[in-house]
Amino acid sequence: MPISQDAHTVKQFDVQLANLRNMVLEMGGLAEDQLKRAITALDEEDLTATRETIARDRIINGLQLKADEDCISLIALRQPLGSDLRMIMSLANTVTDLERIGDGAKKIARMTLHIYDGVSSPPSAKLLRDVRPMAELAADMLHDCLDALARLDVEKALTIIQRDGELDQEFQSALRRLITYMMEDSRTIGHAINVVFIIKALERIGDHCKNIAEHTVYLVEGRNIQQRRNIDPNVGATLAQDVAED
Amino acid sequence: MNKPNSATVPATSGRDIKTIVNASLPRRHAAERRFRWYGLIAISLGLAFVVLMFANIIGKGYSAFWQTYVQVPISFDAAVLDPQGNRDAKAIEGADYGALVRAGLRAVFPNVQGRGELRTLYALVSSDAPQELRRTVMANPALIGATQEVWLLASATVDTFVKGNIDRTLDETERPIKDNQVAWIDKLAAAGKVEQRFNTLLFGSGDSREPEQAGIRGALMGSFYTLLVTFLLSFPIGVATAVYLEEFAPKNRWTDLIEVNINNLAAVPSIVFGLLGLAVFINFFGLPRSAPLVGGLVLSLMTLPVIIIAGRAALTSVPPSIREAALGMGASKLQMVGHHVLPLALPGMLTGSIIGMARALGESAPLLMIGMVAFIVDVPRGFMDPATVLPVQIYLWADLPERAFVERTSAAIMVLLGFMILMNGLAIVLRKRFERRW
Amino acid sequence: MNTSTIAIETKAALDGALNAAAGVRKESSVEVTDYSNRQTVGRITVDNPKMVCRGVNVYYGEKHALKNVGLDIGANEVIAFIGPSGCGKSTFLRCLNRMNDTIATCRVTGQIKLDADDIYDKSIDVVQLRARVGMVFQKPNPFPKSIYENVAYGPRIHGMVNNKAELDELVYASLERAGLLKEVEKRLDEPGTSLSGGQQQRLCIARAIAVNPEVILMDEPCSALDPIATAKIEELIDELRENYTIVIVTHSMQQAARVSQRTAYFHLGDLIEVGDTDQIFTNPRHKLTEDYITGRFG
Repeated sequence: MPISQDAHTVKQFDVQLANLRNMVLEMGGLAEDQLKRAITALDEEDLTATRETIARDRIINGLQLKADEDCISLIALRQPLGSDLRMIMSLANTVTDLERIGDGAKKIARMTLHIYDGVSSPPSAKLLRDVRPMAELAADMLHDCLDALARLDVEKALTIIQRDGELDQEFQSALRRLITYMMEDSRTIGHAINVVFIIKALERIGDHCKNIAEHTVYLVEGRNIQQRRNIDPNVGATLAQDVAED
Repeated sequence: MNKPNSATVPATSGRDIKTIVNASLPRRHAAERRFRWYGLIAISLGLAFVVLMFANIIGKGYSAFWQTYVQVPISFDAAVLDPQGNRDAKAIEGADYGALVRAGLRAVFPNVQGRGELRTLYALVSSDAPQELRRTVMANPALIGATQEVWLLASATVDTFVKGNIDRTLDETERPIKDNQVAWIDKLAAAGKVEQRFNTLLFGSGDSREPEQAGIRGALMGSFYTLLVTFLLSFPIGVATAVYLEEFAPKNRWTDLIEVNINNLAAVPSIVFGLLGLAVFINFFGLPRSAPLVGGLVLSLMTLPVIIIAGRAALTSVPPSIREAALGMGASKLQMVGHHVLPLALPGMLTGSIIGMARALGESAPLLMIGMVAFIVDVPRGFMDPATVLPVQIYLWADLPERAFVERTSAAIMVLLGFMILMNGLAIVLRKRFERRW
Repeated sequence: MNTSTIAIETKAALDGALNAAAGVRKESSVEVTDYSNRQTVGRITVDNPKMVCRGVNVYYGEKHALKNVGLDIGANEVIAFIGPSGCGKSTFLRCLNRMNDTIATCRVTGQIKLDADDIYDKSIDVVQLRARVGMVFQKPNPFPKSIYENVAYGPRIHGMVNNKAELDELVYASLERAGLLKEVEKRLDEPGTSLSGGQQQRLCIARAIAVNPEVILMDEPCSALDPIATAKIEELIDELRENYTIVIVTHSMQQAARVSQRTAYFHLGDLIEVGDTDQIFTNPRHKLTEDYITGRFG
């Protein structure tokens, strides 16, 4: 059952839900902006912009706090069911993912500061070669998953989930390349590790985008499409055992 | 978030609601005060009439509860009572007790001479006085030969005079009591030989032509038997009908028709039931006239609709949740009614019945039609004995001119009202006692 | 670039999204045109049914109050009926022990089976049926008799016990199972109506289980109770599930969610949707169910 567009009998509930959604999308916009700024600053070796980016992460954190509070109060006061419940839970999870994406952008900015710390010589361009395309892919994914969330577009959300695989592959090949460089010339190891952190952050951002896309699918269709690979089928049983052993 | 919406009160030309309401307040309060006054006036008027009525009745009737007796020395002369000297009960009973009374009176006033004057002397005591002496002697034959002061029932005229209801200043021709009688009574009174006692005859004897001997016992017993028949017939039938109609009967055109008819029957003038009783019970079934049985049957007809209606109201007031609870437990319909509905409705039914019975107690019109209006001296001893009832007795006495009957009429009304209040009080007590909260 | 411009961008995206979402919905929503003889969404059958209802129609005079309802009620499950007022949920509940028989204009067609017996068959007496299918009502309705008499009433009229000792035992056991014994043990002679609302309702449940029914029907049993009393009843329902099949009608969706394993949604006399309770309340399949549980009704 897709979510109903009819108004609630209690109008205030509609207003609160719309506010929450707007807040999450605003947060998404901020996260997207942060990612772009971090990458641009890296490209342009602009340490001022980088520091600014790090500072701006607090805005996202603040929004997360606010969105979480809103979610909790909506659940407590409105006792949402059906699509409303799915909407709130999806948005609450999305908020967490967006905050992590913001953290990822911050981590890239941190690494930028490490790379261009003015002590060591700047890295060679080939080390940073893979960052740009991966960043673009991640930024695209983030943009698209926010778009899918805003439009409740399940098709688009499903394509994002597939694209996460591409990003993972990019990450793997970039990692291999960096290892080659490091094996060739051990002096590059310092910078290479920083770059590994950057591309790892981008890869994580991709994962979070995929999560957001999954939340969108759950929101709209009520089915959980999270891949089972990381889920222990006996999770309930083992938990119970743990408790019993304690 | 203070946005206007459709629920906003439309503007009222600049005046706020407080001013508008305040403007109309004096008018509203005045109307309320007026209404309260109207109510108060209506109630006081009603109360005034009730007080007037009671004052009138009690004022006229209270004296009937006292009766005048005069003390006369009677010599139970063996020559008169038992000339053979063998104490034969039959002979003693058949003796001339009138002579004893007359001799006694002559002994008090030895100067009275002449037939006319003697007759007025003898008229001081009731014509029942010889009967009273006979009863005394029969109860105690040892009295024969003795002389004793005996209190004899005074005649109604004397009684009325002693109670001060005859103006002695009037001319002899304008009052029922003669001058010499007045003088004798004064003399007796001076000697302490005139006394008022509680009137046991009023409650102890039946009707009589002589006011001082007339009582309401016959009417009371008549009313008792009649109401007993009424209650025994109308209560079970009424309750059963109410239960059937309310709980069991299907709701269709026939039951609707029956319901309408029962409601109409309650409004039928009571005399019509009397006519019906005359036609059906006396003429068709050949039951005796004036019998409490027939009266009871007629009053049952009249009371039934009232009991049925009250019963149905009591049944409908039992909350449906109780019925549902019983049915939901798997009780059958009869069990539901018997175990739960009827016990809860019974106080209401009883109250309705008692009020219906009180109405029947006060009813006279239908009983006139079946002959319960006859002059009956004997106190009825069963359902088939000729009888009259209290309201009819009142109606009969109200027709009689003697002053002593006027006070007896009022006394009978007081007794009737007393029973009415008693029955209504019983209804209230029953209701309060058995009313349950659920 | 600052946050405010981003906010404006996202607003625009949202507006677009609303329009787009409307389009998405049209494609995948269940087509709803005809309100009568509708197919029920979800699985109406269960593996071990206690009661099986098929094609049940109820008419109040001319009014078609329940339309072609088919539903299984599983053994030892709690099934909740929800829906707006006048949707037929109570009507259906009352079909299950033929309480509708008391309404003269009411007519029931279709088949309702309790185990193997068709309860509307001529050979089935309502007295027997109601002993097997007990009922608890919206308003606590203890008899205006003592607490003991309330519980003893059912066993007495059905002749379930032979002597006072057996009756005592049964009354105590029923009160115990209804979780009321501790509270009333000392005052069994006091009238049932002297108890608090929640206690009265538990007394009614004790009274119902005293005849050891197979199914207990509950018609909004907590609507007159405060939350604590409600919680006690809900806990009791959960415990009773071991031995009884329970059908509960409730206006509180939270209550339905808390106590039931399956939930059925009724709307204007139709059984719209039935399914596992968590599915109904997190992901209903029918738009009417969705609108009702999310408060978009009317």
